[in-house]
Amino acid sequence: MDCYTANWNPLGDSAFYRKYELYSMDWDLKEELRDCLVAAAPYGGPIALLRNPWRKEKAASVRPVLDIYSASGVPLASLLWKSGPVVSLGWSAEEELLCVQEDGAVLVYGLHGDFRRHFSMGNEVLQNRVLDARIFHTEFGSGVAILTGAHRFTLSANVGDLKLRRMPEVPGLQSAPSCWTTLCQDRVAHILLAVGPDLYLLDHAACSAVIPPGLAPGVSSFLQMAVSFTYRHLALFTDTGYIWMGTASLKVDVGDMAMGLVSRVCPKHMCSRPRSKERAVVVAWERRLMVVGDAPESIQFVLDEDSYLVPELDGVRIFSRSTHEFLHEVPAASEEIFKIASMAPGALLLEAQKEYEKESQKADEYLREIQELGQLTQAVQQCIEAAGHEHQPEMQKSLLRAASFGKCFLDRFPPDSFVRMCQDLRVLNAVRDYHIGIPLTYSQYPHALVLRRLYPLAIQICEYLRLPEVQGVSRILAHWACYKVQQKDVSDEDVARAINQKLGDTPGVSYSDIAARAYGCGRTELAIKLLEYEPRSGEQVPLLLKMKRSKLALSKAIESGDTDLVFTVLLHLKNELNRGDFFMTLRNQPMALSLYRQFCKHQELETLKDLYNQDDNHQELGSFHIRASYAAEERIEGRVAALQTAADAFYKAKNEFAAKATEDQMRLLRLQRRLEDELGGQFLDLSLHDTVTTLILGGHNKRAEQLARDFRIPDKRLWWLKLTALADLEDWEELEKFSKSKKSPIGYLPFVEICMKQHNKYEAKKYASRVGPEQKVKALLLVGDVAQAADVAIEHRNEAELSLVLSHCTGATDGATADKIQRARAQAQKK
Amino acid sequence: MAFPHRPDAPELPDFSMLKRLARDQLIYLLEQQHEVDKLYKVENKPALSSSEQLCFLVRPRIKNMRYIANLVNADKLAGRTRKYKVIFSPQKFYACEMVLEEEGIYGDVSCDEWAFSLLPLDVDLLSMELPEFFRDYFLEGDQRWINTVAQALHLLSTLYGSFPNCYGIGRCAKMSYELWRKLEEEEDGETKGRRPEIGHIFLLDRDMDFVTALCSQVVYEGLVDDTFRIKCGSVDFGPEVTSSDKSLKVLLNAEDKVFNEIRNEHFSNVFGFLSQKARNLQAQYDRRRGMDIKQMKNFVSQELKGLKQEHRLLSLHIGACESIMKKKTKQDFQELIKTEHALLEGFSIRESTSYIEEHIDRQVSPIESLRLMCLLSITENTDKAAGKITDAFSSLAKRSNFRAISKKLNLIPRVDGEYDLKVPRDMAYVFSGAYVPLSCRIIEQVLERRSWQGLDEVVRLLNCSEFAFTDMIKDDKASSESLRLILVVFLGGCTFSEISALRFLGREKGYRFIFLTTAVTNSARLMEAMSEVKA
Repeated sequence: MDCYTANWNPLGDSAFYRKYELYSMDWDLKEELRDCLVAAAPYGGPIALLRNPWRKEKAASVRPVLDIYSASGVPLASLLWKSGPVVSLGWSAEEELLCVQEDGAVLVYGLHGDFRRHFSMGNEVLQNRVLDARIFHTEFGSGVAILTGAHRFTLSANVGDLKLRRMPEVPGLQSAPSCWTTLCQDRVAHILLAVGPDLYLLDHAACSAVIPPGLAPGVSSFLQMAVSFTYRHLALFTDTGYIWMGTASLKVDVGDMAMGLVSRVCPKHMCSRPRSKERAVVVAWERRLMVVGDAPESIQFVLDEDSYLVPELDGVRIFSRSTHEFLHEVPAASEEIFKIASMAPGALLLEAQKEYEKESQKADEYLREIQELGQLTQAVQQCIEAAGHEHQPEMQKSLLRAASFGKCFLDRFPPDSFVRMCQDLRVLNAVRDYHIGIPLTYSQYPHALVLRRLYPLAIQICEYLRLPEVQGVSRILAHWACYKVQQKDVSDEDVARAINQKLGDTPGVSYSDIAARAYGCGRTELAIKLLEYEPRSGEQVPLLLKMKRSKLALSKAIESGDTDLVFTVLLHLKNELNRGDFFMTLRNQPMALSLYRQFCKHQELETLKDLYNQDDNHQELGSFHIRASYAAEERIEGRVAALQTAADAFYKAKNEFAAKATEDQMRLLRLQRRLEDELGGQFLDLSLHDTVTTLILGGHNKRAEQLARDFRIPDKRLWWLKLTALADLEDWEELEKFSKSKKSPIGYLPFVEICMKQHNKYEAKKYASRVGPEQKVKALLLVGDVAQAADVAIEHRNEAELSLVLSHCTGATDGATADKIQRARAQAQKK
Repeated sequence: MAFPHRPDAPELPDFSMLKRLARDQLIYLLEQQHEVDKLYKVENKPALSSSEQLCFLVRPRIKNMRYIANLVNADKLAGRTRKYKVIFSPQKFYACEMVLEEEGIYGDVSCDEWAFSLLPLDVDLLSMELPEFFRDYFLEGDQRWINTVAQALHLLSTLYGSFPNCYGIGRCAKMSYELWRKLEEEEDGETKGRRPEIGHIFLLDRDMDFVTALCSQVVYEGLVDDTFRIKCGSVDFGPEVTSSDKSLKVLLNAEDKVFNEIRNEHFSNVFGFLSQKARNLQAQYDRRRGMDIKQMKNFVSQELKGLKQEHRLLSLHIGACESIMKKKTKQDFQELIKTEHALLEGFSIRESTSYIEEHIDRQVSPIESLRLMCLLSITENTDKAAGKITDAFSSLAKRSNFRAISKKLNLIPRVDGEYDLKVPRDMAYVFSGAYVPLSCRIIEQVLERRSWQGLDEVVRLLNCSEFAFTDMIKDDKASSESLRLILVVFLGGCTFSEISALRFLGREKGYRFIFLTTAVTNSARLMEAMSEVKA
């Protein structure tokens, strides 16, 4: 264990860098890395390789192959590239492979080489071709930046929500910039580019020249630039062999330092760890790797092969044909413990535990030493933390053992951190396994989740870490199910059953999503089976429609109670089916039918008629024609004809009443027409009663009576009509004649009332005398003859009448009458 | 007069929040997005505006879409280009978009939704202002508004906590309830943990009780509605009321101190109360005499404004009363009421029938005659002459078992001696002591039992065996105060008489009722909804 720090390299006074092997790659690459377009996803993600035949001048007769490997070199997918020349590859945050073509089209592939979609970067890009492209990551997602042949930049900050932005022109830019990069500040993506000795910063609105503070003079060109993973730091490599390091805002410099002049600069990356003591850039040449920091000396490594650098949150991954290594700054906890001759509490605790295993009394000495300083808690914490940063399970174990050992001597050490670390490390070790090939570090771990068809492992991880179901297990199960439906060799029944068995009704799983995937693979039957499991009927409908299962969709929509949904389906059905079938379908769905009828009433009257015809709904057909006779027809003949059709329909519906009423209306219409012809004036569309009244008012009494006979108006009603009309005319003479024509079927009280309404007391009194005894009192009161009313009431000895009269006794004039009534009452009571 | 609430009566929740929510959203829609400067009413005539953009705020009705389509197409013909925006309230329906598409203007307009579904008309009355609900659902069988109801209930439960006790009766009530529950489940977590402010919710379909809605109203607020038509909580008092040559728009709610005291009163009491009030007011005015300067100053600065306000309101309501009296005595209101009561009681049917006949003979008003016939048809459950004319109606109130229900629920109180309308003893006072509104009785009975238990026979008679439900959600956080707050949801509208009756019940039992209705209705509106002309 003494040589544990053998691979530690000091940088300056305070930091150490170490490089260790993650995997030895056996991916059997036929090509050199430098001949390929390479893209490696961050967080230990997959590596995509596309042998680049377009770079060489040779004719591209052979189609290139796009290979996707895990970080450990396990092949994930391989496909023949059939599209146009690719300029750049990159992985999105969702681990989708973005392939930027020369014509500005971006093809998106899944982790397993499955084509997802494509989009274009706009016309300008298409015309001027893509010169260079970068895929970058922001807090919104992944973006694409493109440098066109016209030396203009176009970018989209989020490919998930594609909004293209054409950046402003750089004044006087005649050739491609010597180097450029994307920056992300204040949630906005910028572009930094170098042209000769000048640096320009492009944002949406403007192009501004920037000067890095403290840059040594004499620079005539920038050869390379690199941004840290978090966009906080920037490094510039100049043609004078200097590296300038500073914040990405270009405000503070970290100091520049001399570099031996180099002939060719290879990909270069800057690595900067959170809370790191030293900023540093990793620079790679063909056979040389350098870590450069503030300190005058830099660390140098020899590279045996062509290598590719992948910046990570806390270090740099370096892979080549044969190995995959990780280079990072030794984390503080590890440094404390493992530094040579360290006296840190953690280091002592580790020693103590080792001695304890050797059954040496030294264990006690070390332990005492820590305890005397009161640093045991700190020692345990250090060991736990350091364990997290170790790659080798052996070393993790020994550190955790030490922590566990130290914990025994502490009264109250909360166990969560220890337990948590054990859990996390188990997960990390599992995913780092060669077969899985995800070399996550402890620092990267919270940032990354897994999407790689390693479902059992993923579920175990989620359960193990007690992630909430909706977030963890459900997502994984849904993902698994989407994959399952693509297995074409398994029967629909088996797949559906398997999926349902596994998923049950796990919250947050959408069966309709899975079904949509199944349909996407051409498995309609399976999709329908899956949809059966979807509890929200509303979710089933859109897919069912897409699959042309409209009838099923209709019943599901009705189940959901959402009329909009029903309507959507209805209109689909209408276009899809022939009329007869459509109507038949509606017939079995009363709710949909009534909805459609409402629509037709406003938009398609003819369809409405057809609907009723189809159903032999004669009652509604009758009503339909009645409506039509009023709305659609102008001419009397047309109206009567429509009414005739309506009457026929009512007869068929066995609604005699409606039929008769309709026929009466036809008769009335014809008659009114004749009246207009013969008498002039307005008769059409009056009601029967109003027609009679109009006739009386016009002095056509004979005709009025004839009409009443024809339409069998009851005698009582006719009397009322006549009475009201004559009173309105104030034809008192005629009224009196009329009243004497025969005995009134409505009595004479109405005569009194109507006369009084016309304020003719004189006439009213005439009729009051003729009112029968039962209503006499009322009549007398109406004409205001309270005294006589009282007499009659007393004569009748009717208590109700007495009180009625009494209630009419107002003021002084009726005082005597009131007394009279009171007396009569008293007398009646005595008896 | 004006019975106070019991001292332990619970406080009502603050519904002004709903107003604020709706207002803010509308302001956002109008100003932020479209910079509105002038408003026109949507009528079937072209809007004379030279503005570059038009914004329509409409109900999602096909008719309105046609109107917009005509307007846009006319502009197109005239070679004019404008921006068009349609804001649907409370929601957009697919059918509307379809019409826009069929009319060829879908691409020309953009659409928005103003999710304004609950208008607080008063401290205890929320209206969805959807009078069309009644016709759409009960007559046309169109269920489009059920979703709107469910959304509204969902909004209430997010704002005022979930409802621990739910009851309901009617097909629509059940569907709305289930849809609402689904919404709650989908958005679980938000409402959970909130302390419920309202302990009970009761959903009731209008077709459970057409009788009450068809009766003439005699409680002041109902009578004002029947006579002058209250719209959105305000009424237009014509010159005959204001005793000037101008009409006056008056807000009628609890803010109006005079109105608040008489709104629930039987009309026979109102006049006496108002004149008493007038005398008191006069006395207060009269105190001015014999005041010294300082007292006078106090009087003017502190009391006079209040008194003047009260004076104004008082004279308005007295004017309204006079106008009502005039109208009602003209049509022999007493006779009408007597006939209605006879129909309700099932007494002297022959006389009632001949009254209705005379009503027709006199040609008083066809719609009134029709209303009386409907009442006759439902209460008598006959299929005779009346049944035929009122086909539309009797098809709705299939097999009304009114007589049997009335007996079972004791809707016609036994009266010994005069029913003192000044000191009512039950909810029947809203119909002069002759009839307890069926809807209110059902609610009372269910609340008493906390379930439908023992009401099986009634439910069967209402033809609602499948649609009566109770749902208790265990919630220990519900305070005893909230458990005495009851939200009653009337699907298809409720009348002011029903509101007054339940307010009375609340005072008696120490509850408070809150009303949510698709619209406030009355017999005339109900009948108009049935007839094709207005629809």
